[in-house]
Amino acid sequence: MLCAALPLLWLPLAGAAATEEPTREPGSPGEPPPGLALFRWQWHEVEAPYLVALWILVASLAKIVFHLSRKVTSLVPESCLLILLGLVLGGIVLAVAKKAEYQLEPGTFFLFLLPPIVLDSGYFMPSRLFFDNLGAILTYAVVGTLWNAFTTGAALWGLQQAGLVAPRVQASLLDFLLFGSLISAVDPVAVLAVFEEVHVNDTLFIIVFGESLLNDAVTVVLYKVCNSFVEMGSANVQATDYLKGVASLFVVSLGGAAVGLVFAFLLALTTRFTKRVRIIEPLLVFLLAYAAYLTAEMASLSAILAVTMCGLGCKKYVEANISHKSRTAVKYTMKTLASCAETVIFMLLGISAVDSSKWAWDSGLVLGTLFFILFFRALGVVLQTWVLNQFRLVPLDKIDQVVMSYGGLRGAVAFALVILLDKTKVPAKDYFVATTIVVVFFTVIVQGLTIKPLVKWLKVKRSEHHKPTLNQELHEHTFDHILAAVEDVVGHHGYHYWRDRWEQFDKKYLSQLLMRRSAYRIRDQIWDVYYRLNIRDAISFVDQGGHILSSTGLTLPSMPSRNSMAETSVTNLLRESGSGACLDLQVIDTVRSGRDREDAVMHHLLCGGLYKPRRRYKASCSRHFISEDAQERQDKEVFQQNMKRRLESFKSTKHNICFTKSKPRPRKTSRKKDGLANTEATNGKPPRNLSVQDTAAVILTVESEEEEESDSSETEKEDDEGIIFVARATSEVLQEVKVSGSLEVCPSPRIIPPSPTCAEKELPWKSGQGDLAVYVSSETTKIVPVDMQTGWNQSISSLESLASPPCTQAPTVTRLPPCPLAAEEPQHPFNLPYDPRPSFAFPPSLAKAGRSRSESSADIPQQQELQPLMGYEDRTHLSPGTANSHWCIQFNKGSRL
Amino acid sequence: MGSHGGLFYRYQDLAPQLVPLDYTSCPDVKVPYELIGSMPELKDNPFRQRIAQVFSDDGDGHMTLDNFLDMFSVMSEMAPRDLKAYYAFKIYDFNDDGYICAWDLEQTVTKLTRGELSAEEVSLVCEKVLGEADGDHDGRLSLEDFQNMILRAPDFLSTFHIRI
Repeated sequence: MLCAALPLLWLPLAGAAATEEPTREPGSPGEPPPGLALFRWQWHEVEAPYLVALWILVASLAKIVFHLSRKVTSLVPESCLLILLGLVLGGIVLAVAKKAEYQLEPGTFFLFLLPPIVLDSGYFMPSRLFFDNLGAILTYAVVGTLWNAFTTGAALWGLQQAGLVAPRVQASLLDFLLFGSLISAVDPVAVLAVFEEVHVNDTLFIIVFGESLLNDAVTVVLYKVCNSFVEMGSANVQATDYLKGVASLFVVSLGGAAVGLVFAFLLALTTRFTKRVRIIEPLLVFLLAYAAYLTAEMASLSAILAVTMCGLGCKKYVEANISHKSRTAVKYTMKTLASCAETVIFMLLGISAVDSSKWAWDSGLVLGTLFFILFFRALGVVLQTWVLNQFRLVPLDKIDQVVMSYGGLRGAVAFALVILLDKTKVPAKDYFVATTIVVVFFTVIVQGLTIKPLVKWLKVKRSEHHKPTLNQELHEHTFDHILAAVEDVVGHHGYHYWRDRWEQFDKKYLSQLLMRRSAYRIRDQIWDVYYRLNIRDAISFVDQGGHILSSTGLTLPSMPSRNSMAETSVTNLLRESGSGACLDLQVIDTVRSGRDREDAVMHHLLCGGLYKPRRRYKASCSRHFISEDAQERQDKEVFQQNMKRRLESFKSTKHNICFTKSKPRPRKTSRKKDGLANTEATNGKPPRNLSVQDTAAVILTVESEEEEESDSSETEKEDDEGIIFVARATSEVLQEVKVSGSLEVCPSPRIIPPSPTCAEKELPWKSGQGDLAVYVSSETTKIVPVDMQTGWNQSISSLESLASPPCTQAPTVTRLPPCPLAAEEPQHPFNLPYDPRPSFAFPPSLAKAGRSRSESSADIPQQQELQPLMGYEDRTHLSPGTANSHWCIQFNKGSRL
Repeated sequence: MGSHGGLFYRYQDLAPQLVPLDYTSCPDVKVPYELIGSMPELKDNPFRQRIAQVFSDDGDGHMTLDNFLDMFSVMSEMAPRDLKAYYAFKIYDFNDDGYICAWDLEQTVTKLTRGELSAEEVSLVCEKVLGEADGDHDGRLSLEDFQNMILRAPDFLSTFHIRI
């Protein structure tokens, strides 16, 4: 990190040097000023943005460095590391520049750094959880903050009266109250940074975090009121001013919330009409949210509240209106900005603390403040929780209270507020600054460091990442209705009653007004959940397959799930033969495990389920359809080339074969096995499985493709016509247009649209007695994100571009003749025991690739490097694939056979 | 109990002309479902009829005072979880055969989605729901299946209260 900081230090100096000697280029030495300079060094013109960019870069690099070590980040919260880094950088800046620079300026903080974080948290706030706990959140935010401010301020004043604070700290009661108001608020940035890593249960998190967001209004009001009182002088404050102070609390909070909601409404309404200009959808979200923030700030309302409410309010409608790509863009941009801002904030906090000219130390004040904020926070939480538990359905227990007390972190808001104090009016400002810095550092570093062990030690209920099930969704809705109905019957206007009313209102008016017709029509939560679950199940299904395989691949001799039949048959033969036929071994090993059966059940579910949404989205795909650009075409081509290559290699066996390897290998597995492969290479056991997995992946490096191409296609040029993929799920045979490229050797293969799962027809559970293990796995499908729609669209668009004659040959597919794997491969005698087994084989080229391990293992790093790039495209191919698990391929040899 | 006194007046409010204020003689009075179902607040509630049916004696939705009080004792925090689960199960079990079958679920889903899903989609969803929770793979949910499933959800039954 120090090296990263060096350019920063160098640049101003270099800039200074450059201004003295503007022409550094050797080509233009000593030109007179009017002459044309070939090279001009204009540091000052770019200085400000350059420095901003550099700081962000430093912060990001710091993040990367921290996360290089999993151990460090698991123990130390990132915020601590960043503050420490900031201290170091600040020290360096101070040492080099002789003056403190690059401080956390309150203006920058409030106008640029804070909004992204708040928007992110508001937008992604789990709204139901938030509103379920709104009572508690509001109590802690309003009552708790007021309590903290007044008790801390008063106690500090008492401390001063008792003579424990040095007399040089000149502060009146009002000053202390002002200080108490700014130091008492729990800081959303700090809370978020620490709690995100702690993973306490959702209720606890939302209460602490919601409090930290909503207390902004109280903090702002208290701070402003106290500040104006201090400026007026306590003698001039009149009773009406107190009343005004109380009233302004409502004005600021409700006004801020109203501004946020108005902008949320505008935002939702605007996104309704962006159908033709999809590209600005993400921008709109940010612009209007930022406008809400600035408007509230302008009107001296609670800007944090405004932006929170804006994010919270608009999300439902915006998400329904904007395209899925925009949704992803919004999500990532928001997260990026927030994370970036957070990083910079903590780093600048560290740097600012170095500037000793700003602060003055007083031990009594510092220690007293530390003690009081901890003590009164705990006391306040206990008292409020006691009251709240009288009303809460699910009471907060003692452990929750401990975490809530301990999680009251102070942060950059307090620091920025204390910097904003006017030294002429608040003579003790320097002491307050020092105390604030210590408090912030203490809470972020000490409490941040210890909260994780504490949570573990207290066995706080962690957030469980249980799968959301359709049942849950269904019953939640049902119970909502039931409870609302019961409340209606009894005439009790409780929480359920109001939620029900709101939902009716939303459904009848708001959604109609703010959502596109198409979005409104297809927006049904249960169906949404069903759809998402199906995709997720497909992924997990595939992942499970991955685990099976990887475990088999790694522990071949002692595979527990292998039953006796597999043991005695091919597996043993293969193992005893000692040859490298492992690629089939693993397949057979996984055949009869009970898990596969379960998978089969799930698979059937998926088969039924996944086919449908596609049609559904097809109807609405115009909404999401984005014309295929060059990139996508290219991806498709890559896919088709792969398909073609695989087909050819299959055909090289001169038999009708079905794909069994239906999905690409997970990269993760291959990565895991990377080391294994290398070790095995030395002990003479070729890691077949590894190679097969890699070569069967849809996305391959070009080299490996071509190598295999030359292997297999040269001999097999002529029998690749009439390859028909039977898509049973849609009862269509889809024909693919010819692919161009280096694969011209195969004249006109007909390939199905991107569907690597073609062969799931041949899954073991499909062929009753077949007992063919199919290893289905795909890491790439893991990254199928929430928006699977791109995948759908692509599959749809490719489907639409294809002819679709009715399926007539599907039945023949299942019982294809066995395929001797070794037909072309005399090096594979061990495959012969296979022959009686029905229709399963790997393409020889894959086996070949297995033998040429050096090439394929060389591919692995390449693949890994490609991964970030290819991940997205992978998924666009694969998600339809996972969806249409019924794809089946038949090689129709036509007249040649 | 005081709240039950309040409940009684509420019950009496439902049909002032039918329910006598004097209940000492335990008159056999039922509030017909038509009165309950026509409450304006309940107009949009898809489960109004079902709730009335489940809690009424003979499944016709006409509620006696006892039925009415039963409903609230089930919803109260004091009610054991099993009782809550049992009644929740009963609400789902439209055909009263002791199992939640695909048809029952279809009723639920159709009600919940207010007919926005096609029949095919509804059956797909139901299939999935059954598949998730059907422990014994008999194609329908028994009470045990149902309990297992909802107990797995963290604060599922804990929120199935109404504090009046």
